[in-house]
Amino acid sequence: MSTNHTSGAGSAVHAKKAEIFCKDEARVDWHSKALWMLREKRDRAASSIPEWEQLRELGSQLKLHTLTHLDQYLEEFEKNCLANGIQVHWAKDGIEHNQIVHKILADKQVKKLVKSKSMLTEECHLNPYLESHGIEVIDTDLGERIIQLAEQPPSHIVVPAIHMKKEEVGELFHDKLGTKAGAADPLYLTRAARAHLREKFLSADAAMTGVNMAIADKGTVVVCTNEGNADMGANLPKLQLHSMGIDKIVPDLDSAAVILRTLARNATGQPVTTYSSFYRGPQTDGEMHIIIVDNGRTDMLQDKILAESLKCIRCGGCLNTCPVYRRSGGYSYNYTIPGPIGIAVGAQNDDTNSIPWACTLCGSCSYVCPTKVPLDKIIHHHRRLKAKAGKLPYGKRSYMPLVGNFMASETMLNCSMSVARTALRILPGAMLKPFSGAWGKYRELPIAPKSSFETWFNKNRGQ
Amino acid sequence: MKIALFIPCLVNQMMPHVGIATVELLEKLGHQVILPKGQTCCGQPMTNSGCFDEAKKTTLKLLNAFKGVECDAIVCPAASCLVAAKENFHEFDTSPEAQAVIDKLYELTEFLHDVAPIKAFNKPFNHKISLQLSCHGIRMLDLATPSEQMGPRTNKVEAVLKAIPSIEIVYPGRYDECCGFGGTFAVDEGAVSAKMGKDKAQAHAETGAKYAVGFDPSCLLHLDGMMRRQKLPIETLHIAQVINAAL
Ligand code: SF4
Repeated sequence: MSTNHTSGAGSAVHAKKAEIFCKDEARVDWHSKALWMLREKRDRAASSIPEWEQLRELGSQLKLHTLTHLDQYLEEFEKNCLANGIQVHWAKDGIEHNQIVHKILADKQVKKLVKSKSMLTEECHLNPYLESHGIEVIDTDLGERIIQLAEQPPSHIVVPAIHMKKEEVGELFHDKLGTKAGAADPLYLTRAARAHLREKFLSADAAMTGVNMAIADKGTVVVCTNEGNADMGANLPKLQLHSMGIDKIVPDLDSAAVILRTLARNATGQPVTTYSSFYRGPQTDGEMHIIIVDNGRTDMLQDKILAESLKCIRCGGCLNTCPVYRRSGGYSYNYTIPGPIGIAVGAQNDDTNSIPWACTLCGSCSYVCPTKVPLDKIIHHHRRLKAKAGKLPYGKRSYMPLVGNFMASETMLNCSMSVARTALRILPGAMLKPFSGAWGKYRELPIAPKSSFETWFNKNRGQ
Repeated sequence: MKIALFIPCLVNQMMPHVGIATVELLEKLGHQVILPKGQTCCGQPMTNSGCFDEAKKTTLKLLNAFKGVECDAIVCPAASCLVAAKENFHEFDTSPEAQAVIDKLYELTEFLHDVAPIKAFNKPFNHKISLQLSCHGIRMLDLATPSEQMGPRTNKVEAVLKAIPSIEIVYPGRYDECCGFGGTFAVDEGAVSAKMGKDKAQAHAETGAKYAVGFDPSCLLHLDGMMRRQKLPIETLHIAQVINAAL
């Protein structure tokens, strides 16, 4: 499987990568099923709460409200953090974020950093940056650690190693951690990872986590994990860092509670994550830093439709339900965040100009989303923006204007469709298949009728 | 009622039997049916691709075919095209005349459920059918509550069909997952589209139904191609054909 997910000239378009992924049909079925199980768990958890749809509406409203008063809440947050003894830093982009983190670590001569899952640090490419400066970074979330050992990026935002089978993890651990050859028992492998990580936790000089929510009126950040690794990290060394996007802010504890009720349910079907920790100040003699990152988010806010993608709470629900993601895998999207939300927030950076079209616009994601991010509308909007900017994918660039003229002309449409129907009826399918592209490659061609409906109507209901 | 038919290009050119069944069933129900001239395409293949400039001429041509036509309703036997027509008309023409056309637009199931319900069916339909709940119909037209949504559930498609004597209605696994057609998606993303179509066709076949029945001709065309390629013992039927057979 390809691990190259970076955008840039030369990276294959989504359809091409998806086609490669689809070659191993048994794996596609397994991948699709594993993710659909999460969707089913989510359905069961959501249906257990009578007010589920109200919670979604509340979640949506409160995120919209916060986004429209972002400056005010961020200022309030900073003020309260400072009062709590937290140091606050602002980064306009990924590079600045990485420099700030490095400076904090370098000042304390940190050699080893334990990190708990954060898509933002992935977005900023923090790990390679720190490693190039001689700092060892250990991802402590089990799934993250697996892909880190495999030197791969995450393929899902909540279950980052979902593309790997347990046998493959066993092989990897045998290689890197010295577990028994051929071992694939999840319990055995988890125990081995735990022992390995414990040693890292104890020897780390600093800890870093992502942020699920930042509570403005308390100057507090909320971190949700299932393994307790964030807490283990943050509580052992004296130096703790938290990276957050400006979109993570919520006004108060009540609003955080609304989101906590939907986040885990929509992600994995759990009532709540095992650990939902609130950090509101450094430990005694310790230091706590929060880095607040923009990295293109303010630009997104300028476009009313794109702005709604910042309501996202990164539950991963839209990936699990997406019929395209389940069958094309996370690495086909040319962006750190795959699936519907990945298209919504990443399409501007997609040099292949292909990911907005990696979607059937079925709308399932928009209905699954706990904060009602209108994903299908946003994706559709991205297509329009790309078209406007003259960045249609190659095929479309050449055929769309023709289709436009063709469809607007009855004579042209009628004549050529009549030719096509005749061809479909009299030529053997095998002869037509090579000419009918992707359709005929996978499907039988339509059985063509003798004449059009209009001809029938005029003849039988003669106007 | 006097009904103007909106027959999308796909039905006109490739699936005339869907149009014919629609005319016949509406007439059996006592409606007068007319076919305004000059309809080609709603512009969906273009607008769905982001190409709004290319869609304008086509969309306005279709809209003009209905402007000023005297009728009580404009009925279309294709959910996805209907949704696109509504949205595109609105996008390119904000005049009161355009709005008057938009206000009269109904998808066939929607019309038979909300506007002019069928009082009684005359004939039985002695088959098991597997319902194809296509995305745009359920998620953009509220023909049925999508599986992602919690709370009270509605299903207009089933409500219309279940009054047919001796019909048996079942659903495929993952019943409202997209079939993968997605307009130009079927061509641009051939491999994923095909895998989705194959899974959907198999899920319908696994119900043991004789027919997969739906309200969206494009999905049915896609599924039909898949079913025949996979040699599955099931065929597609449009909802209009089932209703027409039972009247
Ligand atoms: S867009 Fe919605 S469903 Fe998708 S990850 Fe974000 S919050 Fe979850």
